Amino acid sequence: MNALHLMAELIFMPLIAFIVGMMMVLMMRKISARLQRRIGPPFFQPLYDIVKLYGKDTQISHGLIHDIGIIMAVGGYIGAEILLPVPGMEGIAAKGGVITLSYFLMIPSLGMALGVGQCANPNGSIGISRALTAMLAYDIPFILVVFGAAWHYQSTSLIGMIEYQQVHQWGIVEMPLLAIAGLFALQGMLGKQPFEIYIAPAEIATGPMVEMSGKYMGGLFVMQTFQLYTAGVLYASLFLGGGTSFLTLLPKAFLVVALPMSIAFMFPRYKTEDVIRILWKWPVMLGLISLAFIL
Amino acid sequence: MTLLDHLFIVVFSCLIAISVVRNLPIVDKLAPVLYGLILIMLVRMASVAYGGDAYLSSFSLDLLGFKMHWQFTALSWYFAIITLVAALASAVFMSGDWGRQYREGGGNYGMLQLALIVNVFSMILLLGSGDLLSLFIGWEFVSWASFLMMVLSPSKLAKKSAVKYIVYAMTGAMALMVAIVMIYAVNDSLEFEQISIVFAQMSGSSQVALVLLLFVAFAIKMGLLPFHLWQAVAYAETPGPGAAFLGAISSRMGMFTIVLVIVQFIGLGGLKSVGTSFANMQTLLAWVAALTTIIPTYIALQQHDAKRLLAWHGVGQGGYMLLGIIMFDSIGSAGGLMHVLNHASYQAALFMTVVAVMYRTGTSDLNKLGGLVTQMPLTFLVMLIGIIGLAGLPPMNGFVSKWLVYRSLLVNGQPLLFVAAVLGTLGTILSVYKLIHNTFLGQLRLEHQNVREVPWSMLVPMLGLSVIVFITGFMPGLILPWIASVQESVGLPVIAHHLGGIEYAKGGLDMIWVSGILFYGFGVGALIFYFLGGKSKRVHQYDNYAGGHFLTSDVRYHYSNNFYPGLMHLIGTWYRGSFQWLENSIVSVMSFFSVFFENIYRAKQPVMLLLIGVVLALLALYRNLGVGA
Amino acid sequence: MNSLVLLMVLPLFAAFIIPVVAKFSSKLALFTGPVVLCINLLLIMSAWVKVGSGAHAIFLGGFLPPVGIVFYIDHFSLLFSGLIASMVLIVWPWDAKESRLYSLYMLLSAASFGLALSADLFNLYVFYELLAVATYGIIAKQKNSSATAASLRYLFISSAGSVMLLLGIAIIYTLTGTLNIAHLATMTENLHGFAGLSAFALIAIGAGVKAEMFPVNSWVAEVYGTIPRQLSALLAGLISKLAVVLIIKMLLMVFQVQAAFDLLLVVGMLGVISGEMVAWRAKDMIRMLSFSSIAHLGVLFIALSIGGSKGLWLAIAIMLHHLLVKGGLFLMADRFSGHFDKLKGLAHHSPMSAAVFLVFILSLLGVPPLPGFWIKMALVMNLAELGGGLYYLAIGVILLATIIETAYMFNLVQTMYLKADADSTPLNKRYSASYTFAKLFALLLLVSMVFVSPISKRLKDIANHSANPQIYIHTVLPARYLGEKS
Repeated sequence: MNALHLMAELIFMPLIAFIVGMMMVLMMRKISARLQRRIGPPFFQPLYDIVKLYGKDTQISHGLIHDIGIIMAVGGYIGAEILLPVPGMEGIAAKGGVITLSYFLMIPSLGMALGVGQCANPNGSIGISRALTAMLAYDIPFILVVFGAAWHYQSTSLIGMIEYQQVHQWGIVEMPLLAIAGLFALQGMLGKQPFEIYIAPAEIATGPMVEMSGKYMGGLFVMQTFQLYTAGVLYASLFLGGGTSFLTLLPKAFLVVALPMSIAFMFPRYKTEDVIRILWKWPVMLGLISLAFIL
Repeated sequence: MTLLDHLFIVVFSCLIAISVVRNLPIVDKLAPVLYGLILIMLVRMASVAYGGDAYLSSFSLDLLGFKMHWQFTALSWYFAIITLVAALASAVFMSGDWGRQYREGGGNYGMLQLALIVNVFSMILLLGSGDLLSLFIGWEFVSWASFLMMVLSPSKLAKKSAVKYIVYAMTGAMALMVAIVMIYAVNDSLEFEQISIVFAQMSGSSQVALVLLLFVAFAIKMGLLPFHLWQAVAYAETPGPGAAFLGAISSRMGMFTIVLVIVQFIGLGGLKSVGTSFANMQTLLAWVAALTTIIPTYIALQQHDAKRLLAWHGVGQGGYMLLGIIMFDSIGSAGGLMHVLNHASYQAALFMTVVAVMYRTGTSDLNKLGGLVTQMPLTFLVMLIGIIGLAGLPPMNGFVSKWLVYRSLLVNGQPLLFVAAVLGTLGTILSVYKLIHNTFLGQLRLEHQNVREVPWSMLVPMLGLSVIVFITGFMPGLILPWIASVQESVGLPVIAHHLGGIEYAKGGLDMIWVSGILFYGFGVGALIFYFLGGKSKRVHQYDNYAGGHFLTSDVRYHYSNNFYPGLMHLIGTWYRGSFQWLENSIVSVMSFFSVFFENIYRAKQPVMLLLIGVVLALLALYRNLGVGA
Repeated sequence: MNSLVLLMVLPLFAAFIIPVVAKFSSKLALFTGPVVLCINLLLIMSAWVKVGSGAHAIFLGGFLPPVGIVFYIDHFSLLFSGLIASMVLIVWPWDAKESRLYSLYMLLSAASFGLALSADLFNLYVFYELLAVATYGIIAKQKNSSATAASLRYLFISSAGSVMLLLGIAIIYTLTGTLNIAHLATMTENLHGFAGLSAFALIAIGAGVKAEMFPVNSWVAEVYGTIPRQLSALLAGLISKLAVVLIIKMLLMVFQVQAAFDLLLVVGMLGVISGEMVAWRAKDMIRMLSFSSIAHLGVLFIALSIGGSKGLWLAIAIMLHHLLVKGGLFLMADRFSGHFDKLKGLAHHSPMSAAVFLVFILSLLGVPPLPGFWIKMALVMNLAELGGGLYYLAIGVILLATIIETAYMFNLVQTMYLKADADSTPLNKRYSASYTFAKLFALLLLVSMVFVSPISKRLKDIANHSANPQIYIHTVLPARYLGEKS
């Protein structure tokens, strides 16, 4: 890997993630609008929102850690994107593998938590408490899924996993139960209903976002684009064979992200303890049964 | 005279020197210098950590026909260097302002200094042991030295928990003694090599007994389940820097002996040969380790005292070390061993931050703090680095060792252990966020408005340790050669390493790249934040959305008590204190027998006892011999 | 050499003469005892040098064995004689005003010397009884009702024990027709049957009353609780051991059989467990020390059950160690208030005494590098070498006892280091001579830590010599008699 290539990857991998992520945001908003019989926002609305937020006059900071929290939230994902291989750009995926990646995904949450904590707003802290609890809930099935995939493909690097699937069959065919468990975890990870107690607007005034204004909120919007992209691509790489080009990868990623949104409105909002209960019961059970087959 | 002799002489002279001057003001300046001196002695022996030969002491003892000698292997050196760095940091931390406050508060500062050097001395003695007897003696020394450190705190609870500790420690020591006796009885020799020789000759049940006895002895020191109850309270109640030192390294002596005795001389083959193929000794130990990562971590999550919280995490992290080493492969054992150093560095730093907060605010109760980041930014920074290390997130060193352990579990196909380890990590993340949130973030209390940053004598060791936490995370290759030497010296597969991490066929780790990418991400994030957005305005902490209320300083609204209500609502009922119950029931059984014997001694007619005794003795003789004989 | 008879005769004489002397000068009466003991000490020292590595027998009244009275002198008996003289000197009742007490102490010394030196069963029994009488007298001298009650109960069980002892001796006499131990040692085959061993059991249990053997030791806590601490130090430290000496003589010379060892092993283990368990619940220092003492005598019996010279040297080592430690602890307790609640804050009143106390109990627990550790180590290793389930059980019991002992001892230490309350009065005297002696004991303990190797070598020599029945037989019995037998 020469330096130029690396430079290009360092710039383009996050950039592509950002752009694709914005399209995913758009798609989700469209889906939710259609489900509610609305038309939904125009194509550039996600970008407009971000630009607007960054450009606001009123930008309230509660101190340096507040700022750093947002930087960590965005920066953590930018780092994670570089660990997430996409067609033509493998970044440094080989240097860390999927375990490192799953740890990278916790850094933005922790960064946001720090920033929110500094705001000294109890609603924010309650939101974080719930968000971290939710993370505890969905990470257990997620990690089972990662373990099962890594064991099945005999590799901890996503590149190796994709290669395996290109040669053999897609993961979802060979490990259907594990793939379903993965979908559960995905629902929790994206914070869609029924697992969205931590932002509960009517109850704790949108929780972690309560003190976020201007570019702080903008940062979180950016973070969301990355989050959707990461989730979609990661799941596609683990179970849907990844892709040899963006043309084959992106539709899968979009499909993966569309799914949680499409079913979200069927559910009520679960209490925190119910979130844990359900995520530790069904997907974990599915994952374990699936592991029993794999091992 | 070998270098090892010099080391022993230097350590012993330091012990004498500090015990002489411990009540003079000069001890503040002298103690760090002396620890530095010992550290230099260790550095002179560094060749052993880079594949050199072990150092033998030229002096040995022959008492009552038991021969004792001492040696320093890569394993000893590795633990010794951690011990000394922790001791140096603690000594610097306690010298100066902290010590003054401690003295003014009625603490016996001289004794604390003495306790520290006694601990270092006994640990070096244990680490240098060359046979089972010197091991046992070092073992007892370490136990009593920790006890000395723990009883220094004037609080009643501290004394109680110290006594509890020493009872546990004695139980461990006695288990070790029985194990040593079992080994000695076969060939009349106390050399380490006898362990494997004797183990091979033993019958199945004796093998089980030997392994269990050794493991119980070492597990008690390390605070592994189900012998973990003593540790957290005892460490939390120890005076500040003492807690940092004990929490960093003291209980890891158990890890040292596990590696030295169980891993080196019984080995994977030995452990696997004990028990059935489905559940052998390795499985048992691995599950002990896994449960040790989970249960104490979730107990930590419940704590609302910062020192207790950290101490419970210290117990929990021990599980990772054992989990790694018990896998017996190159990456797992490297992870387990490396976690000792990593844990020592961040745990000492974290304890120091808590002590620093106590130094300024007088409390470590997480419900009575908050918002201190503006007042003590550097302490906050150290705690942040420390908790990232403790939680095992990149780019700090805790991540590297945990990554190795996870990787090993993955390679060995242990999904349940893997999930257990992750469960422990997630619990840790929750708990350390609570720690930093309740201490440094959120609302600053009115009475803490004038709190200032701690003095440099306390900041320097904290910052130094956090530099270690970061550097060894960024370039694990700095210490991986030590690990590789240790693995080689105890006969484990050796890890292939480079400056950034490890080489491994099925996916390695290069922390220089990983950290680089992370910082690149942060850099881009910062650029976006500072250059693409509008200018932000600092507001007062009361300038907050409160649903229409006006926030004032007299109303406390810091969200701290019962931080994870949802989680506790679900798992709260699982905290049944089963181990406490177990401990209590042992005590109850003891009481029962005690009362029984007391009643015998209270007998109204002692002559009856005499007659019963005579009759029983005669009956026993009669059954053995018969009248005709 | 024959002057060693004076060891026993001088105190006995002094015991009778003191009341008379006291009529003229109470000062003189007070000093008679110590002077006699000092003379004895000198005698012992010169005899120690003279005997060397050999042994010597004294035939009283010119009657030759197996008929006459015989004293057997070797380093083992001299060691105990020396300890008797020193201990009695240390606890000498300087502040007592009554001359009768001096007499009783002298009587006690005379009986003790006799027990240490005698070489035939009948005399041993006589001295044992004499010792008992002296002890009742001393205990009953304490003028309070609980002491009287304790003394009475002690009298009951002790005399029952004496009866057992006598019964045992009678059986032996019936079987062999002699009471001379050397003579008995030549005809062991008569005694290794059920009858002979039951005689041993009776002797062991009978003497066991004084040796704090389970289950005939229920007097211990009660008596130690009511008498002066110095006297407890004497009884727990020394007198209990003298009763053990009687058992040792029988065991090593005559009853080297597995059944006898097993008997001692079992009562030893029961003593250890019961003693420690009860001590664990004690709330009073003296009571705690008493039961701990029972447990340690139990350890002593376990050591004896190893048998031979190995068992003997361990037993001697345990006895000496226990004498120093328990004696020292009781002497220290002279200054302490008994109940735990009152001991709060002792370490702040007197850091030195807390430190000395710690040294004692650390050695008692067997913490390296104190002597207690080496003794425990050697004992456990020797038990393991014998193998067998019962011996492994004994190892388990000893080590379990250590854990329990740690628990209660450090519970007390913890109390000492707590802050003092308003109602805690840890020290009841400003000055006590016993405390000085206790410090001396602690010093001795620390010094012996340095000389573990030479001391153990010396003890092994003594034991090798004393545990050998052949030497005993050849020293005591005239060659003519031996020739006849063989």
